[in-house]
Amino acid sequence: MHHAVIERWSQGQSFLHRRDARAKAAALLFLLIAIATGPGLPAAAGSVYFAILVLGFAAARVPVLGALARAAAVLPFSLAFAAIAAVSGDPARAAILVGKSYLSALAVLLLVATTPLPKLLRGFEGIGVPRFLLMVGQFVYRYLFVIAAQAASMRLAASCRGGFGKSGSAHETRFRAAAGALAVLFARSYGAAENIHRSMLSRGFEGHFHLLRNPRFGPADWTFLLSSAAVAVVVRGI
Amino acid sequence: MHIPDGFLSTQVWAALDVLAAPAVGLAVRKTRREFDEGRIPLLGVMGAFVFAAQMINFPVGIGTSGHLVGGALLAYVLGWPAASVVMTAILAIQALVFQDGGILALGANITNMAIVGVLAGYLPFHLWGGGGATARKIAIFAGGFTSVLVSALLALVQLGLSGVPMPAPVAGISVGLFVVSALLEGAITLAVVQALETINPGFVRTARGSHSRGAAIVLATAVFLAAVGVIFASTHPDGLEQLAINAGISQRATNLFATPFADYEAGFLQSAWLRKAAAGLAGLALVCAACIGFGRFAARKRSA
Repeated sequence: MHHAVIERWSQGQSFLHRRDARAKAAALLFLLIAIATGPGLPAAAGSVYFAILVLGFAAARVPVLGALARAAAVLPFSLAFAAIAAVSGDPARAAILVGKSYLSALAVLLLVATTPLPKLLRGFEGIGVPRFLLMVGQFVYRYLFVIAAQAASMRLAASCRGGFGKSGSAHETRFRAAAGALAVLFARSYGAAENIHRSMLSRGFEGHFHLLRNPRFGPADWTFLLSSAAVAVVVRGI
Repeated sequence: MHIPDGFLSTQVWAALDVLAAPAVGLAVRKTRREFDEGRIPLLGVMGAFVFAAQMINFPVGIGTSGHLVGGALLAYVLGWPAASVVMTAILAIQALVFQDGGILALGANITNMAIVGVLAGYLPFHLWGGGGATARKIAIFAGGFTSVLVSALLALVQLGLSGVPMPAPVAGISVGLFVVSALLEGAITLAVVQALETINPGFVRTARGSHSRGAAIVLATAVFLAAVGVIFASTHPDGLEQLAINAGISQRATNLFATPFADYEAGFLQSAWLRKAAAGLAGLALVCAACIGFGRFAARKRSA
């Protein structure tokens, strides 16, 4: 599954993996702003950004082709608008839309592929994002695939019984059956949430998770951040 | 519609990031009053439910199907502040882990779906959900409908303001598709709420009805019309202006008063985009101030 692959990538050991999450998040912001605020995306600048990101994946020992394919998740949206721009007689704009959105997605993927989510969220907390919101995000991520697996097994069970079949029952009946399935999924999720809440309380949960080691922003992180920012600014000027 | 990075102009994404940050902060503060930190798992699992709900397809005929978006449903179950917080968390996870929506564009996506979308979904329920059974059904349907429609229209407006090419036929087809999706969301939300209430009536909140209905309706209508209006009115003169042009009056017309926001622009600002945005916000603020003033005056009269 998508998350399992990214989690495996984020557990690696490399120079990028060892950098503090705040340094990587700030470097990502510099890069995204440099890409977004450029007046266009000259082929030279786009190629250099692409090369830097590919080198980043290679240095982090993350499969480059796999990463390039995952970042392509942004392309259906981009290509649709690019096609409209091209048909409207603005092919340069079409290329900019596709290029900027793909490079930005690749940059975000490099961050999450080299930083485990709990560390990343702790990093965001360090730069002022409300802890309450980050905790909700962490729980969404933790239970996303549990509930999704439940939904998938419910869909399979319903299909075996002909519940979501393409023929047979009327549309309205099938619509109501889907609504019922969703309501049952909701009730199960709600029940699971209450059980999780009780079991976490019984284990002494105080409203936040603890990392095994507190993050430390060292000289290597400063060097990484400042050099990333400098590279982003220089490439933007190409 | 999750907007990726690279689509919005700097002014648009930066302004919406600045707007979304305090809005989310306010939603977090209001949520913490109702849900203590120990109940965070409930909010997280409800967010995971909205993700997973996309796997259950609803048949809509001619071989196609749709799925729940969930902003309005979350608001009916958790209240609007908690629903906004959960939707914000979902959007952040989608942007980070699934490359669905951008990081710089996160403010825009949060504004569209987690703030305005959730509020637009909650408002009909808040206003009419406490009425009779039929009024409640209509309110629940309307909540799902407006939630999706307003979010999608706002995204379209932001793309248009950013200079993404949007020929009139494409904009028209997009609005048509948004209306169909919004109708579907309304129908799914209503069907799921009815099924939920069969399982446990306590899942869905009781709508209390608003104390300032008039102001809320005017505000909601103003936001909605502003969203739709920007698409159509930005490049074309309005009906009266067109009539004046056709009749040849416009060349002879003179202003009797100096208007501070002539042509809906704040002339004292340098950037064209800032001029339009400042004038729009100032206009909306004036309308709100007038509504609040009128409401207070009416309330004083009533109590006198």
